[in-house]
Amino acid sequence: MKKKNLVAYSFILPNLLGFFVFTFIPIIFSLLLSFCEWDSGNPIKFVGLDNFVTMFTKDKSFWISLKNTLYYTVVTVPVTLVLSLFLAILMNKPIKGRNFFRSVLFFPYVASLVAVAVVWMALFNPDRGPINGILMALGVNNPPRWAASTTWAMPTIIGLTVWKGMGYYMIVYLAALQGVPKELYEAAALDGASGWQQFRNVTWPNVTPTTFFILMMLLVSAFKSYDTMYITTQGGPGEATKVLAYHIYNSAFVSSKFGYASALSMVLFVIVMVVTLIQFKGEKRFTNYL
Amino acid sequence: MNKKRVGIALFAGVLSIGMLSGCGDEKKDAKGGKTDLKVAIWDYSTTEYYKTMFDAFTKKNPDINIEVVEFSADEYDNTVTTQLGGKQDFDVVFTKGTPALSGLIAQGHVISLDDYIKNDSDFNKDNYLGLIDQLTMDDKVYGVPFRKDNNLLFYNKDLFDKADVPYPEDGMNMKEYHELAEKMTSGTGNDKVYGAHFHTWASNVYDLARRPEAFDQLDTDTYDNLKPYYDEVLAMQDEGAIQDYGALKSSNIHYSGVFYNQQTSMITIGTWFINNLLENVTDFNWGVCSTPNNEGMGKDNAVGGVTPVSIGAYAKHPDEAWKFISYICGEEGAEVIAKTGILPGYNSDKINQIFDDLPKTYENAPENLSNYIDVDKYVIEQRMDPKIKDIENILTEEHSEIMTKSISVDEGVKKMKERVSELQQN
Repeated sequence: MKKKNLVAYSFILPNLLGFFVFTFIPIIFSLLLSFCEWDSGNPIKFVGLDNFVTMFTKDKSFWISLKNTLYYTVVTVPVTLVLSLFLAILMNKPIKGRNFFRSVLFFPYVASLVAVAVVWMALFNPDRGPINGILMALGVNNPPRWAASTTWAMPTIIGLTVWKGMGYYMIVYLAALQGVPKELYEAAALDGASGWQQFRNVTWPNVTPTTFFILMMLLVSAFKSYDTMYITTQGGPGEATKVLAYHIYNSAFVSSKFGYASALSMVLFVIVMVVTLIQFKGEKRFTNYL
Repeated sequence: MNKKRVGIALFAGVLSIGMLSGCGDEKKDAKGGKTDLKVAIWDYSTTEYYKTMFDAFTKKNPDINIEVVEFSADEYDNTVTTQLGGKQDFDVVFTKGTPALSGLIAQGHVISLDDYIKNDSDFNKDNYLGLIDQLTMDDKVYGVPFRKDNNLLFYNKDLFDKADVPYPEDGMNMKEYHELAEKMTSGTGNDKVYGAHFHTWASNVYDLARRPEAFDQLDTDTYDNLKPYYDEVLAMQDEGAIQDYGALKSSNIHYSGVFYNQQTSMITIGTWFINNLLENVTDFNWGVCSTPNNEGMGKDNAVGGVTPVSIGAYAKHPDEAWKFISYICGEEGAEVIAKTGILPGYNSDKINQIFDDLPKTYENAPENLSNYIDVDKYVIEQRMDPKIKDIENILTEEHSEIMTKSISVDEGVKKMKERVSELQQN
């Protein structure tokens, strides 16, 4: 018995060791750092709750970036979810060229974020981009300035994220849809259920585990967004697209305030954890397993 | 079973030998009497003049060997700060500008140079046109300028000749600049030639006020002086005399291509552009004059960035480091880079002559460039201060709001003042 355990542990040891050294210990260090002040040169100074007090009372950028993060999450997550489910249902129907369309819809997910971002920004260029060109040709006199406007910058980025991500979640939903027993649809049709009623009473309840999974993935990914904003708008114009992760990066690497950045990271961690816990609680009442 | 055990033992043995061989002998310093000088720098392998200069130094000082530690230009500041955070023993540290140097000083990663300057009889502060006194924090000098830059107005002589418009001259005010840019704007669509070009950096606007010292990032009372400049630049943008900030930002257009392709008649940018033009422009003649300003100043002051060189705080050979620094920032080092059209931190008649002689090697270069280099005072673009990076961040954010017309100029400047004052009080 002991030998078997030893063998088992030795198999998982490398990964566990790596996780411990490169992920777990740094997280603990970061937690401790959040109660300190450190600029990477001078010695670490313990300051208790000062970082958190500053964050909640004096740092306007914290509230702005929190608001931006919530705005981004509240729009991106449901829109991606709904669109990917809709596309999955569509791609589940026996239409011609179905495989081709599935590949086309999945492709943006595979493409490099940098490449997609550059092209997206070119498309939405306020003066030279084809999007505004089309809008003006259709008679819109002052089309939105997209990423060059504090009002439209975030929607532009949201559009990019949704377009790029929905292909992946579509595939996940597709797999789930194919697990729904066809007899249920036949029974519903026999009872005279309309398309919408079939969706509401057969499809939706049967993909709830997948919905739960996708919701969780989307939420976590939205809360820690950084690279998209960095490549497209660098948090601008002004602070319109500055999300929490961006503020953390700035505090650490531009302002050299590693203690404060750690405190911000802890807050982000707690927010995401709370959201995930709420989800898990909801899952019990919400999902049905066949 | 036995084979397995032997296999595992062998594997473990190979691993440990590999690890141990990695720990080399660290005491190889005195290689037969030579001192190893560790120099942290960016783009060493892609910049010719570094090699020329470093080789000249080692020739003169055969007992010193230079060990170049190169990092990529984009992440240089972060990398060097992180390395110094780990007490890396760089002897010489190049930094990309005063904000980076301010950060290193605040973290105690570089030492003050006052004693070296005092004890070095060959070193004369006056050759640096006031820059040494500006590379100070708490009254201590921390860097010597290796190169410096001056913001100039570059113009395309051929386009002016074609339009039969006299060349721009020193001492223009913003309104005159605006009118000239409008005159020099022509064409539509893909054939459009803009009168002037403003790059997306906030400094492209505030340097115009900084040169006559009407603006100082650390003194929020001077921020109101930015308003007339922003008003004029936005008016130029509205009338299509310059490209739109939002469009430039969305398409990541670089200012150099715009000027090379003759899509703009004028541009205000730093003297590093001289080296770029010398290498890339062969099909039109270009000239320079001083940037416009509303304070009636001619070509008297210069404004721009500096590349400071410092001695690392954990250096093993600080004395040799000073020898190196005083060489490359001195006359001989300066001559090497001046020949490629780059402005050295050091100034002298010889250097001025090199710039005046540039048209002999590069046909399209203008005459008498030394007029804009041998200037009474060099004003550093970003003052040395522990909070200068954060201040620059705020200025950039508000600049983007103003230039995209998301808020008015008055509101934008007000926000700048409020945010920077708050930052300075904390």
